[in-house]
This record gives sequence, C-alpha cells and structure tokens, in this order.
Amino acid sequence: MALNEAFVDADGFRIKYREGGQGTPLVYLHGAGGPRPNPSHELLARHHRVIAFEIPGFGDSPENTRTKTIGELASTITTAVASLGIDTFNLIGRSFGGTVALWMALQAPERVLAMVLEAPGAFRPEGMTPPSNHPLVVRLRGPARDPELERRMRALTTPTLVLFGTRDDVIPPSMGQIYKAALPNGHLVFVYDAGHGISTDRPEAYAEVVVDFLERHEAFVISRAHTVIHP
Amino acid sequence: MKVSFFETVRYRPPAPLPPDWPAASGAYDRDAGARAYEDMIARLRYLEDIGFDWVSVSEHHYSPRILTPSPILSAAYLAPHVKKMTIALLGPIVAHSNPVRLAEELAMLDTMTHGRLVVGLLRGTTNEALSYDLNPEESRERTDEGMELILKAWTEPQPFGWQGRHFQYRTVSIWPRPQQQPHPPTYALGTSREALEFAARHRLGCGVSYGPYDVMARATRHYRDECARHGWEPKPEQIVYRANMLVAGSDEEAHALLEQQPDRAPFSMRSGVADAIAKVDARNIAGQARAPVRMGALPTTFIGSPDTVVEQVRQCKEMVGCGVLDLSLHPPGLPDPEPLMRALDLFATKVLPRIREI
Repeated sequence: MALNEAFVDADGFRIKYREGGQGTPLVYLHGAGGPRPNPSHELLARHHRVIAFEIPGFGDSPENTRTKTIGELASTITTAVASLGIDTFNLIGRSFGGTVALWMALQAPERVLAMVLEAPGAFRPEGMTPPSNHPLVVRLRGPARDPELERRMRALTTPTLVLFGTRDDVIPPSMGQIYKAALPNGHLVFVYDAGHGISTDRPEAYAEVVVDFLERHEAFVISRAHTVIHP
Repeated sequence: MKVSFFETVRYRPPAPLPPDWPAASGAYDRDAGARAYEDMIARLRYLEDIGFDWVSVSEHHYSPRILTPSPILSAAYLAPHVKKMTIALLGPIVAHSNPVRLAEELAMLDTMTHGRLVVGLLRGTTNEALSYDLNPEESRERTDEGMELILKAWTEPQPFGWQGRHFQYRTVSIWPRPQQQPHPPTYALGTSREALEFAARHRLGCGVSYGPYDVMARATRHYRDECARHGWEPKPEQIVYRANMLVAGSDEEAHALLEQQPDRAPFSMRSGVADAIAKVDARNIAGQARAPVRMGALPTTFIGSPDTVVEQVRQCKEMVGCGVLDLSLHPPGLPDPEPLMRALDLFATKVLPRIREI
C-alpha cells in the first residue's frame, strides 16, 4: 500500500507528510536521521491511517532555527495533526522522534490514544554523545537524564510501548528500564536481533507487536496464538 | 588447570542392548536405572574427596549411554551431596527448550547451590533435534536467540517482552534471579563460528569438545580474536575442553585398553537419518565447514601412562588455551564399573596433583 505525499501548515512551517491506509490515525515521527523509506509503514497502513511527518528542519524542509525547545517542536506537530482535522490518534516516535512523541503525550494526553516509542532517545547514559550532529537535534535533545521529564512521566497514563533492539549500538537497550520504571502504563519489549532501526531491521516483527499493542493496549500481553496442529 | 568429571550416570544394562539410536525404551531395566542414580551419588563423594573441582552433567535423550535427559534434574539431585565442587551444567540444550523456563530453573539451581553453578548453553548434537521434533535447520538460530533471551531474563530488572524470531513472550520477569551476579559463569558451548562469536560478544566462556588439539585450537583462537575485537580478554577458566582420557600404568597398557573399547559410537543414528540431518544441519569449526568429530567412537585425546598424559595436558593447555578439562575417564555406557574406578584412582594419585600447576 503506497503512502501519498502532501503538506500541512502549522506554526508557520510548511510540513510535508506521507499518508496511507485507513482506520484510526497513526502519527509517525522519524529519528535524527530524517525521514527515510520504512517498510513498516506499509505494514502498519494495513491496519491504520498512517501519517508520517517530516519534522521541520529535516528532509527537504529548510533549516529550522526557530524552534527553541523539544516541547515547542512537540506542540508544532500536535498543531499539524489538528490541522488535518484529527482529534485523537495513536503515536509512534522513533529515536529523536520518540522524545518528541513523549512530549506530545505529556502536553496533550487526552489526544494520544496509545504511544509507541521505538528506541527512544529521551534518556541516554551519562557521558554518552549521540552520533547525530544535526543542528536541531543537538539543540533540542536535552540532558542525558532530565529529572523534570521523569517526574512528569510518572503521571502519564497513556498506554505506552517502549521498544529496543537487542543490537542497538546507538542507545543502549538498558535505557528501556527508565521508561518502564517511570511510565505507569508502560511496557518494554526487546526486539531480538534488531539494531537502532528496529522498524527497518525487522519490520514484520515490529509491525506485529505495534499493531497488537495499539489494538489491545495492556491486554496485548495475553497470547492469541493457537497451537493446535491438526484439528 | 581445573579438572571436571563428566558424570554420565553409567547405566549398566543387565543384557546387551541394540546398537541404534534411539535405543528401544522397552529394553530399559528399572533396577539398573535406580542403581545407576544411586551409584552417581556414591561416586560424587569420591570425586570430591580426590579433588575434582567440577562435576558436569549434560543433556541427552533416548539412550542409555548418558542417562540425563534433564541435566537440571541431575544437578538438583547432586546438589545436596556436594560440599565443595562446582556443579557444571554443560549443558542444557537451548534449541529445543523454553528459554525462559531454563533461565528460571538455572536461577533456582544457582540459588540452591549457594552460587556454585556454572552453565554451558548448547545447541546439542545433531540427533537431539529428533528428540523433541525440532527442525534441525533452525537449531542454530534457535540456540542463539534462546541464549540471548536467557541472559536477558537473568539480568533485566524490569518486566519485559521479547519479540524474537523463534520465541515470543509479552511478559518476562523471573523469580528468583541467579545467586551469582550478574549471572552464573556461563559458556556458549561448541566450536562453530556462531557459538564462539556469541560467547565473545556477550563476554561468556567457550567450551570445545573431543576434537584434536590443533582443531580445537583453531576454535579457541577464533574465540580469543573475537574477544579482543570486543575489547576484552578471556581468563583461562573461560575455556573448557571436554575430552576422553585413558590413563594406565604404562603407555602400552593404555593403548591395549583402547583396543578393547568399541570402535563404533554407541547408540548412533542409522546412516540414512544421519546423512539426511547433515544436509540441513551443517556444522563448522570457527567458520570452516566440517563437523568437530567424525563418525565413529569419540576420540580419546589423552592416553598413556601418567607421565605421558601429564605431558599431553601440558601440550593441550599450550595449544587450546583451556583452563578447565572436563574429563571422561572411561567410555560411558560400558557395563563394567571397575575400569573407571581404577582410572580414577590412578588419575587422582599420579595425574591430578601434577596438572594442577599447568
């Protein structure tokens, strides 16, 4: 299922997005590497109306020197979603986009039905320098540990799935413990043999757990697999 | 050098058994089985007295040769009788196990033994794929994934899910956790490139078995190279070499005893089945496509008088770099226990004290 390109205006930015599929809107935010072809989008679009934004300052958009904080960037994306006439939606953020997504949920929890954080970059080991030198990312990514962010996460009841690849060499998978400990309705899943780009490394495994979680929220822990070999 | 005794339970059949694997279950003798497990406890006390550092158990199915289909049960049975020795599970077959269950049971064992457990995680010999109807083509991948999941289950402090290729769990959070932290000394067993690289990547030990020194040295060299690539150096104790040893009063006597042993592997698969499995379950040694051990009886690596055997162990240490020898001093499955006891006496008095310093 192909995703079609379009634009929406928000906070003075002309924001490109790709959209495809039907159903509950699913907003996807890319990582610090910018928007890239992602086979998982088509898999997700079989179940959802996928809207993959190009964050202002990435891809073909002009350099973003206006946005001063990660919260401001989150607000811009939330405004863009509203401009598309969407009230409530599911949300996926990958790496840097995961930090943006987390702030979107904190700012407008009533609008985010459920959230998936794919190898999110909101927490990093002390002293670790993330590889991205994108000026917007460098300016907005914040400290390795933000106590204020953790404090606010403890009150966030949005169903949240945190994914880390077992071979992630950008953000250590052990960072998942922080999200799991802080988010009252958070779930941590390791995707075996995936690196930092889980959705591109193992798109089918990624899409299966994401679709299941977005459908069933915390009940996704109950297996629906059948083991009958011959009826 | 540390020394481990490979405990195979030593079932002594009252009558000759058919030679093929699987051995017909109807030929099992209950009294002989009960006696074998009782003897294992008596032998354990003796092994501890004469100074073995480890006693190892393994997992094998459908055969009287090694009567331990569940090494975890074997270890739990031995544990109350062990005062000093380390119990080595070398090892549970990961490919056909539930990795979370293994992680739980191994953590229980480590706790019950007050942290005197070492664990070798294993793909299993080719025939074992048939035991639980596992596609041999998948055994390598299932082993690698299962090993990684076990390590994660031991160390992850928060409940987590696992989105694997062969295993999927939405919730894992084991109790108890291992007594030893972050987990018991653990080995990825096998000579394959995949096992050696897994061990190096996860800072585990490696375990090789039965092949000649130069072949096993190729595997352990690859392991050490990979460890260096990952920024660490394994200790000698992180390389285990399992081997047969036949020690006698003289070299001539040892070789004469070897001549009396069967030259065919006991309870081996029929060739048609073995060949069919080999086509889908390719084995390698550090990337070189070949099986560690050819068909036939397992080789006897150390053979001769005590002097000769000590020198062979010295040479083995130099070439393979192992810090633990896991020894079988008499082929398992042979009916007469006396040769084993004689070998143990000789080993304890004339060999063990001298190889300690190697």
